[in-house]
Amino acid sequence: MSYSKFSYFLSLIVFSTLFGCDTNETLLLSEKSIIYCSEGAPESFNPQLVTSGTTIDATSNQLYNRLIEFDPNDNSIIPAIAKSWHVTRDGKMVTFYLRKDVNFHQTAYFIPTRALNADDVLFSFNRMLDPENEYHEVSGGKYPFFQNAQLDDLIESVEKINDHTVRFKLSQPDSSFLANIGGNSAVILSKEYSEHLIELNAMQEIDMFPIGTGPFKFKQYSSGAFIRFEPHSKYWQEQSQLKQLVYDITPRDTGRLTKLLAGECDVIAYPIAHEKIKQHPGLALESVTSFNVGYFGFNTTKPPFDNPLVRKAISYAINKQAILETVYTGQADIANGLIPSSSWAYDDTIESQEYSISKAQSLLAQAGYPDGFVMDLWAMPVQRAYNPDAVTMAKLIQADLQKISIKVDIVSDYEWSTFLRKISEGEHQSVLLGWSADHPDPDNFFSTLLSCVSSVTGSNRTFWCNQDFDQLIQSALQTDNINSRKALYSKALKLINEEVPLIPIAHSKRYQARAHSVNGKLLRSIGGIDFNGVTKN
Amino acid sequence: MARDKIYQEEEFPTPLMQLWHNFKQPPVVVIGFGCFLFLIVLAILSSLITPYSPIENHLNDLLLPPAWSNDGNVSFLLGTDNLGRDMLSRLIHGTSLTFGLSIIVVMASLIIGVIIGSLAALTKGVKSSFLNHFLDVILSIPSLLLAIVIVAILGPGLENTLWAIIMVLIPQFVHITRNAVKEEFTKDYVLASRLDGANSFRILRYSVFPNIIEKLISQATLAQSAAILDIAALGFLGLGAPIPMPEWGAMLANGIDLFYIAPWTVYLPGLAILFSVIATNLVGEGMRHALKVRKEN
Amino acid sequence: MFIFTLRRFNLFFFTMLLLTILSFSLSFLFPGEQLVNLTGQINATPEQLAVLANEYQHQAGFITQYFSYVSHLFHGDMGYSMASHLPVATEILNRLPATIELTSVALLVAMFVGIPIGFFAAIYHRKTPDNIILGVAMIGYSVPVFWLGILAILVFSIQLGWLPSAGQISLLFEIEHVTGLQLIDILLSDSPYKWQAFIDATRHLILPVIVVALAPATIFMRLARTAMLEVLETHYIKAAKAKGLTFWQIIYRHAMRNAFIKVIRDVGLQFANLVTIAMVTEVIFSWPGIGRWLIESIYQRDYTAIQGGLIVLSTFIFIVHIIIDFVYAALNPLAREPRHGA
Repeated sequence: MSYSKFSYFLSLIVFSTLFGCDTNETLLLSEKSIIYCSEGAPESFNPQLVTSGTTIDATSNQLYNRLIEFDPNDNSIIPAIAKSWHVTRDGKMVTFYLRKDVNFHQTAYFIPTRALNADDVLFSFNRMLDPENEYHEVSGGKYPFFQNAQLDDLIESVEKINDHTVRFKLSQPDSSFLANIGGNSAVILSKEYSEHLIELNAMQEIDMFPIGTGPFKFKQYSSGAFIRFEPHSKYWQEQSQLKQLVYDITPRDTGRLTKLLAGECDVIAYPIAHEKIKQHPGLALESVTSFNVGYFGFNTTKPPFDNPLVRKAISYAINKQAILETVYTGQADIANGLIPSSSWAYDDTIESQEYSISKAQSLLAQAGYPDGFVMDLWAMPVQRAYNPDAVTMAKLIQADLQKISIKVDIVSDYEWSTFLRKISEGEHQSVLLGWSADHPDPDNFFSTLLSCVSSVTGSNRTFWCNQDFDQLIQSALQTDNINSRKALYSKALKLINEEVPLIPIAHSKRYQARAHSVNGKLLRSIGGIDFNGVTKN
Repeated sequence: MARDKIYQEEEFPTPLMQLWHNFKQPPVVVIGFGCFLFLIVLAILSSLITPYSPIENHLNDLLLPPAWSNDGNVSFLLGTDNLGRDMLSRLIHGTSLTFGLSIIVVMASLIIGVIIGSLAALTKGVKSSFLNHFLDVILSIPSLLLAIVIVAILGPGLENTLWAIIMVLIPQFVHITRNAVKEEFTKDYVLASRLDGANSFRILRYSVFPNIIEKLISQATLAQSAAILDIAALGFLGLGAPIPMPEWGAMLANGIDLFYIAPWTVYLPGLAILFSVIATNLVGEGMRHALKVRKEN
Repeated sequence: MFIFTLRRFNLFFFTMLLLTILSFSLSFLFPGEQLVNLTGQINATPEQLAVLANEYQHQAGFITQYFSYVSHLFHGDMGYSMASHLPVATEILNRLPATIELTSVALLVAMFVGIPIGFFAAIYHRKTPDNIILGVAMIGYSVPVFWLGILAILVFSIQLGWLPSAGQISLLFEIEHVTGLQLIDILLSDSPYKWQAFIDATRHLILPVIVVALAPATIFMRLARTAMLEVLETHYIKAAKAKGLTFWQIIYRHAMRNAFIKVIRDVGLQFANLVTIAMVTEVIFSWPGIGRWLIESIYQRDYTAIQGGLIVLSTFIFIVHIIIDFVYAALNPLAREPRHGA
């Protein structure tokens, strides 16, 4: 080829590629597909095994369904695979009536012959509950969500009544049971597929090549690079209009934003540079307040924090607004109480603790420390959504408490697991920590963080054990009348604000950015992202 | 007033003096040389002339743009980064890391390379041919890949990358020394001093080196621009200087996360690298030009 | 030509010998157990290790160990990646084609852009075009490639929105992995979106290729300029002038071909440099090639992968080097029959 011919050829390629993207064909494929730039690779394709948000995002709502689910708008419990359910009067037996039209995915590696029935539900729960189940030990045998929520103790047995009815027997009444069954990890797997894999002697594939009932089915996973989903053509609810759903795994924050700006992604997780996205005419930034809380907790067994007056005094001296702006860069709501405003138990009559140095000083004098004291403050050494920078937060608190002559020593040199072990042994005087809820039931905040039981075995790092409080949250669990529960939790919240075992600081928000061409509700305050019903035009 | 020449004898400037004479002819080379000297001064005086410490956080002045923009602040001339560190101070300190260290790295590999190269030039036969092939193989491995492999052995960190780059640069000096020395050894003046009874070492020291030094310096400028780029590239890839260090490549890597909110944290270190490499290349270019001119005369 | 081929073969053999020795000795130099570094079996039980030790003749002397390592290499066994637990050979086969595609296209672009511009500069020796070209060339090979890549993404992907910023092809297209060379695989595939995928893949290729090609192109510019200047000084050009040919006739008929041959001789040497640049570019553009994989292997301390990657990448460079030597010899009779020249 002569030189001039070559340059002609070259310019032909350049022109056709630069302007060739307006052909009708392109419209077909990219108009009907969504690329989601996610922040990391899933650890498994079975959310029973992992609780990390990244894995939940990639699996829970896309590939699977649960017996019951949460309404995306108000987080109330709505039917899913179970079309209805019944709780006996003593609260110890829960019966689910299953839909008959729920189909499993048909893929290149498995063709189901029957629709979902009670056997599948039994298999899914027994895999986690029953150590004798042949799948129990596959992929490690650890089911963190179920074990953390102590469901293995709570559920005595799961029985098949008939092909489309299952009954759970509980050891005690527990009104958060339904919320737990609707949680991200309580997905329904296919019993038929599990038998098929036993025949092939490839049992571990159940968590790598997933078969579920969700709106999308698994097509391809290129390790650490991308996941390809296709719509489930026999989905029991409205079928997705998309042709493909691709998760482009892009761990770098800047990389995700670049892809969004360059139009290579339609939706990105955890965007940075919010101003830039807001200014862009083709992009939208959205957020949802997550079910989490970042808090400043006191070791109530160590002086001077065994005195509620001291704790109350400190709560007056913390400038939450400044922390919100600096540490969370405005991407959070101030925590008035322990639970976020998106929870049904939120009580808007409870106001955030006012910021008043003079009140703090007088309370401190009343408690017998007019000249202040020296305390240590443990700041967690890792980043979490509920506290993106604990050390900076600790520095701000240090400056705040300086004003009421309390000197703060910051402890943050430990490695994360050592840090957790040491505070569980109570070595700290005060600590900056947080909590991300597993499911939207408010009990997940109260019992886990502040009950007497969890001060011994769980994650109550304040070691605060108040009989009145325990009484309140116990009675709230034993009733399923939502109004009386709400009243009980409201009392509990007020008790916390009086006794101040911990100071709730903020509920961080989860952000997401998308191109305007993507329509539909994507983010949920619990359970991450959901592409069901999302369209593109 | 010009000094009168009393003696009629002709002055023979040393090869280096001749080089300098030809070197300073094109103005662009003089500018480049000026920039090069400026960078050396910055590298030496960095801690004296910077307004702030490179790791000092100004928490009230996070992500300030450079002073000429509307939101800028004159006390932070080139703005600050996400931890409120003054960009100007970091860039000047970076001069002594990226640019200053590249000079040290090149000198070290020059010395080692010249020693090996001279020894190689004096050996003959199988050993020599083996060395030749060995050098060819090493030169065919991408320099960055080789540096990466060495860093993998030594572990990441600034000091280890310097060792890696020294090792990567040695072969080219061996190669050029060996060829230059061999070439000189065939010349008559070497034969003359050999007839005077000088041993090989003496010939190398007094006859050959003064005549090949300019070739080596010209190679050294090439090596230095490569060294700057390699130090920065390894820093950028997170294998060299750790992020808090004001090494230009590492600064750039840190800036990438801020690219959309503070683009100057990406532009400025990149410009600094570009500036120093161009200055180095201009000096090298002038050197090669001068050599060529001298050869032609 | 036979002697020439034999000589290249000899060189290739010697190079491979040295490379394998280098790679083998790396397994001793890397931190950790040598056998584990060599095989990548980090989770092996003592029994499995004993089997491996036997297989790699671990008890014998170094020479025997080396030969058993080389025989494993010959069978395509480079051990297992410590990070992904997949065979290193598979990992490399998945990624090398992307690098081949990027580097070979970039090499061609660098040559076809750089060499003509160099000739042009030589023709206008010491005039304004020459000075401008030299100035641009100086900036071209002084720019740090990672910075250039970021700027290219900013301008062409984000400001102008012309070209994509990451990857080899939009993830929406499912292209079966046949040769691994994306463009060829697309042409082989029977996807209904074939033409669309081809355009998309080409669009993805443009920015990385430009970034990789820039510095080598400027070097070719300078080489071509020098070569052309030398040729224009030769006697046969003077003879052609004396015959009364016009300047441009001389350039087209005599000077260009001869200068081109001189440049080709140095192309092989520049290829290693080009691959270095490509490694960094792959990181910036998330190009799924072997360079990015190697750099990630360092982060993960995947020593088995580093050894395999080093051998394969160096061999690739060396093969290209030899191919270019053959092209040079085919174009230039003086090179293949030295006695005519010397």
